[in-house]
Amino acid sequence: MKKKIVALLVSAVMTLSLLACGGGKETSGDSGDDSSKGQELTVWCWDAFNVDAMKKAGEIYTAKNPDVKINVVETVSADIQTLVQTYAMSNNLDALPDIFLMDDQVFAKYLQNYPEVFAELTNSGIPFSDFASAKVANSVRDGKNYGVPYDSNTVIACYRTDYLSEAGYTIKDLTDITWDQFITIGEDVLAKTGMPMLTNVQGEPDLLNMILQSAGISVFDEKGNISLVNNDGLVEAMNVYMELVEKGILQEQTDWSGYQGSINNGNVVGTINGSWICATIMSTDQAEQEGNWAVTNMPKLNDYPGATNYSAQGGSTWAIASSCDNYDLAVDFFKETWASSTEFYDSILTSLGAIATYLPAASSDAYNEVSAYFGNEAIYSKIVSFGGKIPTINKGIYWSEEKEALGVALANVMSGKLDLETAIKEAQSTVEFNIGM
Amino acid sequence: MKTSRKGLTVNQKYNITGWTFLLPAAILIFAMNFYPMIQALILSFKSGIGNNLKFNGLYNYSRLLEDRVFWTSFKNTFLYLLIQVPIMLALAIFLALLLNKKDLKCKGLFRTAIFLPCCTALVSYSIIFKTLFSFDGYINTVLLNLGIISSRINWLGQEETAKIVIIIALIWRWTGYNMVFYLAGLQNIDDSLYEAAKIDGAGSVKTFFKITMPLLRPTILLTTIMSINGTLQLFDESVNLTGGGPANSTLTMSHYIYKVSFEYNPQFGYAAAMSYIIFILVAVLSFIQMKVGDKR
Repeated sequence: MKKKIVALLVSAVMTLSLLACGGGKETSGDSGDDSSKGQELTVWCWDAFNVDAMKKAGEIYTAKNPDVKINVVETVSADIQTLVQTYAMSNNLDALPDIFLMDDQVFAKYLQNYPEVFAELTNSGIPFSDFASAKVANSVRDGKNYGVPYDSNTVIACYRTDYLSEAGYTIKDLTDITWDQFITIGEDVLAKTGMPMLTNVQGEPDLLNMILQSAGISVFDEKGNISLVNNDGLVEAMNVYMELVEKGILQEQTDWSGYQGSINNGNVVGTINGSWICATIMSTDQAEQEGNWAVTNMPKLNDYPGATNYSAQGGSTWAIASSCDNYDLAVDFFKETWASSTEFYDSILTSLGAIATYLPAASSDAYNEVSAYFGNEAIYSKIVSFGGKIPTINKGIYWSEEKEALGVALANVMSGKLDLETAIKEAQSTVEFNIGM
Repeated sequence: MKTSRKGLTVNQKYNITGWTFLLPAAILIFAMNFYPMIQALILSFKSGIGNNLKFNGLYNYSRLLEDRVFWTSFKNTFLYLLIQVPIMLALAIFLALLLNKKDLKCKGLFRTAIFLPCCTALVSYSIIFKTLFSFDGYINTVLLNLGIISSRINWLGQEETAKIVIIIALIWRWTGYNMVFYLAGLQNIDDSLYEAAKIDGAGSVKTFFKITMPLLRPTILLTTIMSINGTLQLFDESVNLTGGGPANSTLTMSHYIYKVSFEYNPQFGYAAAMSYIIFILVAVLSFIQMKVGDKR
C-alpha cells in the first residue's frame, strides 16, 4: 500500500512539473505579446557609455511622446552577436529586441549571413546623407540601408603629459611622427620613468590592424580574398609591432580588463585606440589623472608609401530588427533623436564624451568646447578633423578570421617558434581554409 | 498475444505500469537529447555559411583532415587528457584513502573542503584562476616574495605555462569530485578483508594493491570514463582562462567548435562534423576502457 501511495505522489509531482514547464512557456509568450502591443521599444547595447547615450535619447523622445517607453537592456557585444545568430538560425526572430547595437567590424558579416534579421531603412526617411559616408557604407548591402551609424571609430593616441614631461617630452614631440621616432622616444621614456608607452591585449592584433589601415594596407583584395603573403606593408607593420613588444615599449595585457586597468591605474604612459577609449580613460578613480591627458594622432608607418597618422578602430551602428512590430515607431524614434537632434548629440558629447558620426552635430559649439580632463584642449573637434583623413581599405566579412590568424602569427613569431615568413604563410592558409567553405 | 482483451495478466499489468513511469523521462530524453543528436548528424553532412546549407556528403569530414587548427586543438585536448586525468585520479584515490582513515578527526570538514571546488561555477573559477596567474597576479607576487622566482612569469602568455595553468586549474576543480566516488567505493569494502590481510601479515602497500585497488576497479572505471568524457569536451577553461591562446596552444576541440560556429562566419555543418568526431572518440575510448578495465 505504502508503495502505491509513494508511486502516486511521484507521478503527481512529475505531471505537475511537466505542467509547470508548459505553463511557464505560455506566460513568457504572453508577456512577449504584451510588450509588442504596448508602445515600448526594447534596445540592446553594451557598455555604460552606449547604454547612457541610448537612455538619454529615450528621455528626449519620451518627453515628447509620453506614452512610449524606451527600455534599454545592457547586453555584451559578443552576446548580441551570438543571440542574433542563434535566433536567426532557429527562426525565432521574435525573441530579438526592437533595436540593437552592432559592432561595425562584424556588421557586414551579419548583414550578409543573416539578412532576414535586419529591417531595411532605405526609404524610412532617416537622412543617411547626414552621416559620415564611410560609416554609412558599412551597413549598406546591395544599395540598401540597414543601420543608423553611431559612434566614431577614429583612432587617437592618448598620452599622460605628466609622465612625458618627467622624461623631458611634450605632446608635440609625439605628434605627426613615425613609428621609428616613436620607438626612440619610447625607449627613452621607458629608461627614465620605467613606464611602457603603450598597452594592448595579448593575442588581439587590434593595434596591428590600426597600423595597417593607417598606411592604407589591405589584407583583403578587391574580391574579398585574403592577401597576407607577399604583402610588404604587413611585414613592415608586424616588425614595428614586434619591436614595440620586444623593447618593452608596448606592454601586453592578458585581457580587456587588464588593459583598462593598466590605463586607469596609471601603469602606462598612453594608448592608441578608437576615440571611444576616452570614456575608459575618464573612468579612472585616480583624481590626479585629470588634466594630465592629451590627445594626438598615431605614429605613421615610416616611409611606407601612403602612410598617414590616421586610422580607424571599432565603432558601432544601430539596427532595427525585422521582427520589430513597431517599425514605424522605431524609425520615428531615430528620426527624432539620433538622426536630427544636434542638442542630443551635444548632450551625450559633453556628459559622456560620445563622439558620433552625425555630421551636422560636428559644427555645433559643443565640439569646440575644451575638455578639462584632456589638458583644456578642444579634443572633440580635433578627433573629428582626424576622421576625414583615414585611408580606406578593403574589408570583408572574414574580419574575425583574419584578426585571429594574425594574432596567432604574431604570437608564434614572438615566441620564436616560427619565422615571420612562415607565420604569415600559415595565417594565409588558415584564413583561406575558413573562406574556402 | 493470445490473452483475452478483458483481463491482463499480472506481468502485463506490471509492464504497462513500468512503461508508463518510464514514458515521460523517455520522451524528454528523446526530444532533448536524441532528436538533436540525429539532427546534428544530418547537419554534419551539409556545408555552407549560416542558414544557406546544402548537402555535401562527407565533405566536412574530409575537410577536417586538412584543418591545421583542428589538429592543434586535438593534440592540446589529448595532452590534457594524458597528463591531467592520471594525476587527478591518483590524487583523488590518495585523498580518499586519507579521509577514509578511521582515526581521522574533523573528517566532515576535510571532505567538504576538498569537495567544495566542485560547487564553484566553471566560468567563475576560470576567471579567478586567470586573475591569480596574471602577470601582476597573486601567484607571481607570492613566488617572487618567497624568492622562488627572480622575475614575474607571464604564465598565460607562454605556451607551456599556459597549458600547465589549465592542468592545475582542472586538477583543483575536479579532484574532489572524483574523490567522493572513491570514498563511496572504499566504504563498500568490508573491513574484515583488511583484518584478514593484516593477520596474514600484509603491509599497507600490499593491502592497497591487492585489496583496495581490485575492489575499487568499478569506481576507477567509472571515474576514468567520466574524466575522459569531460576532458574531451573541455570548453569553459579554454575560453575563459586562456582564450585558447597564445597562438592556439591551449585551444580545445569544443572551443574550436564554438569559434567555428559563433566567432567566424558560421559553419554549422562543419562544427557538427567536429562534434561527431568527439562523440566517436568518447565512444571508442569508453569501449576500450570497458573491455580492458571491467573483468567481472
